[in-house]
Amino acid sequence: MDNEFFNPYSNNTFFEFFYTLFFRMVAFFSGKLPVAEFASDEIQLIVLSFIASSTALIGCFLTLRKMTMLANSLSHTILLGIVAAYFFTIHLYGSQAEGVSTPIEIMLLAALVMGFITTFLTEFLTKTLNMQEDASTGIVFTTLFALGIVLVTLLTRNAHIGTEIVMGNVDILRLEDSYAAGIILLIDLFFIWLFFKEFKITTFDPALSQALGISPSIFNYLLMSLVSITIIGAFRAVGVLMVLSFITGPPLAARFLTEKLRTLLILSVIIGVLACLIGVALSRHFLSAHHLALSTGGIVVCIVALFFIFSVLYQTLRLWLVYTKPVLPPKL
Amino acid sequence: MNSFTSYFTDAVLRAPTIGCMLMCFSAALVGVVVFLRKQSLIGEALSHATYPGVVLGTIVAISLSVGIDQELELIACIIIGAFICAMLGLGCIQLLEKKWKIRTDSALCFILATFFGFGVTLASYLQFTFPAFYKQSQNYLYGQAATMTDYHIGIYTFLSALIVSILMLFYKEIQTITFDREYAKSMGIPVKRIDFCLFILIALALVAGIRAVGVVLMSAMLVIPAAAARQYTNKLFHMFVLASCIGLLSGYFGNYLSVELTTYFSQKYPASRLSLPTGPMIVLVASTLCIFSLLFAPKKGYLLRKFRIFLFQDQCIRENILKSMWRHGPKNAIPFNTIQETQTASKAYIWFCLWRLIQQGWVLKNDSNHYSLTSDGEYRAAQIVRLHRLWEVYLADYLGIGAERVHRSAEEMEHILTPEIEKELTLLLNDPKQDPHHQPIPPSSPF
Repeated sequence: MDNEFFNPYSNNTFFEFFYTLFFRMVAFFSGKLPVAEFASDEIQLIVLSFIASSTALIGCFLTLRKMTMLANSLSHTILLGIVAAYFFTIHLYGSQAEGVSTPIEIMLLAALVMGFITTFLTEFLTKTLNMQEDASTGIVFTTLFALGIVLVTLLTRNAHIGTEIVMGNVDILRLEDSYAAGIILLIDLFFIWLFFKEFKITTFDPALSQALGISPSIFNYLLMSLVSITIIGAFRAVGVLMVLSFITGPPLAARFLTEKLRTLLILSVIIGVLACLIGVALSRHFLSAHHLALSTGGIVVCIVALFFIFSVLYQTLRLWLVYTKPVLPPKL
Repeated sequence: MNSFTSYFTDAVLRAPTIGCMLMCFSAALVGVVVFLRKQSLIGEALSHATYPGVVLGTIVAISLSVGIDQELELIACIIIGAFICAMLGLGCIQLLEKKWKIRTDSALCFILATFFGFGVTLASYLQFTFPAFYKQSQNYLYGQAATMTDYHIGIYTFLSALIVSILMLFYKEIQTITFDREYAKSMGIPVKRIDFCLFILIALALVAGIRAVGVVLMSAMLVIPAAAARQYTNKLFHMFVLASCIGLLSGYFGNYLSVELTTYFSQKYPASRLSLPTGPMIVLVASTLCIFSLLFAPKKGYLLRKFRIFLFQDQCIRENILKSMWRHGPKNAIPFNTIQETQTASKAYIWFCLWRLIQQGWVLKNDSNHYSLTSDGEYRAAQIVRLHRLWEVYLADYLGIGAERVHRSAEEMEHILTPEIEKELTLLLNDPKQDPHHQPIPPSSPF
């Protein structure tokens, strides 16, 4: 993990983690801590926060547009893209030592291509072959995923890589991963900032947007592309399945706290990042106090679920205090 | 290379083969109901939700001091754990939807990922404390049939029998609820209770299947056989039979491919100790069968449908060529360009059609490359024109459509009307001699 230098977080318990983190941050901002000396916990924290922010942003639009099952099928099919990108890299740059990460531009390209292939195949099955929609989604993504698993096992001749891809492993993260996650976050932020109005109007009133000359389907495709690049950016850390919790969890939790889109976006990002912070600290706590190396990604998912439960409780309590009869928020 | 039958007789290969086939069989049966009720995404969410159950079951087994070699106890714990977790996942989904008004897709996705994440956390605990058990539980991720023993067969036979008997017991009720809920309610069928029963069936099928197919891909085995079977039939019972056959086939060949490929690769790369999971292979076999059915099923198959459409269009073009030649004067020889001008199809295609018409003896080609109708062809063309004009008369006289608007419909119907309908039309219209545009109608066939 971190053989090169001493990890300041070793043997830290939950609260000591934040204490150390605070002093490390002070040192960083006063210029005493170079980027190259980041401890593994800090790198994990940075990568996970970037991932959580980008997924939360995308997730808000997905949940509001009832498109989360698209994220589900993309997260499965993206595996084929990962395999393709991996082998493309080896053939392009000659055979490389294992563990060298694929260049980000190839990853992004693979994600986009897979996204379009998935959408195209699903629509082909639904429209041309007259298959009902849920079944065609189910058939396409499971088949492509099975193909991906077989290929990844055969081509890497490593049976464990399949497990790693669905479960993720934060311990293999390095500083380069945070650059990749940062770039993806910037891309997401850029597109959402640029097309905020368009996304808003196509989400809430597709008919009006059509009348105004903004095509909802173009923005569906744009959102789909953003989802696939976000998922491919996250798979190394949290795996292709748990990223779904990052996508749906924070927006669902935040939905109970606000009715404004802008606030929803900000709150989901805050919830996502907070969950990562607590998750990394808890993971370190278990390692120091109980000598248990638990999966950080899994812990973060559990914390997101806890946040959801808290926000449900908060909502119920507030409504119970305000009204005698609870009124629920509009359907999400 | 093992022969096909040795998979049923060999002591080592027998258990995985029969196990896989049984699992896919029960999944396919339940899948038919899931498919028809359009709930395949619930299957997806619940199959992932069984993962923490698998790990929890293993942990419980350890705390009950079950050894790694006590297969039966271990499997029982895992199956019970997975079943409870699947039902819990279902409960959570319903709670999210009904109580907190979260839309179905978000609720499914959230539960799927959260349960799976919880499972991963538990699995990492297991990996750290009991690595041997962890390896066992990881088999449930993508399925690993190779290590199954006769105990497994016993358990999965029991589960499949349970599923089949529940299905048989409630067959009528399930049929009614699936196709007409309101009618079922008015019949006094306890819809809610049968719904719950179906969810138990889904959970049972998932739990039975995850050892062979794995939690990640289990939902595929619910949907794919049913989707393939749907292409061949409109009857529920036939669909059950077909889907279970497809399930059995994919179970057998999936296991077969996985074993054969694993031996092949272990000979080729002895160092890698590669073992292919069964789940993806089973799913790939099933989806190959499904894609084949989607394309080539007799009635609904896409390619066969396209082929039938093509044949019909081809017939239309040939008949149109004959008709246009007849219009130019039945006895006249006309050059190719004149024929081509009246048709929309490409030059080469019309040339090809004419060539076939010559072969069929309806058209003659003379020395100066002009085409003329033979007596047979003339008669056939006259028949087509007769049908066209008869239909125009029918539309104008009986349906009261204006004479200027009847041509387009007649242009299509002339290729569809059969001799029987022609006879009836002749009788109905008193064998008219003129169409609404005052064109003569050729007399009907002397035969």
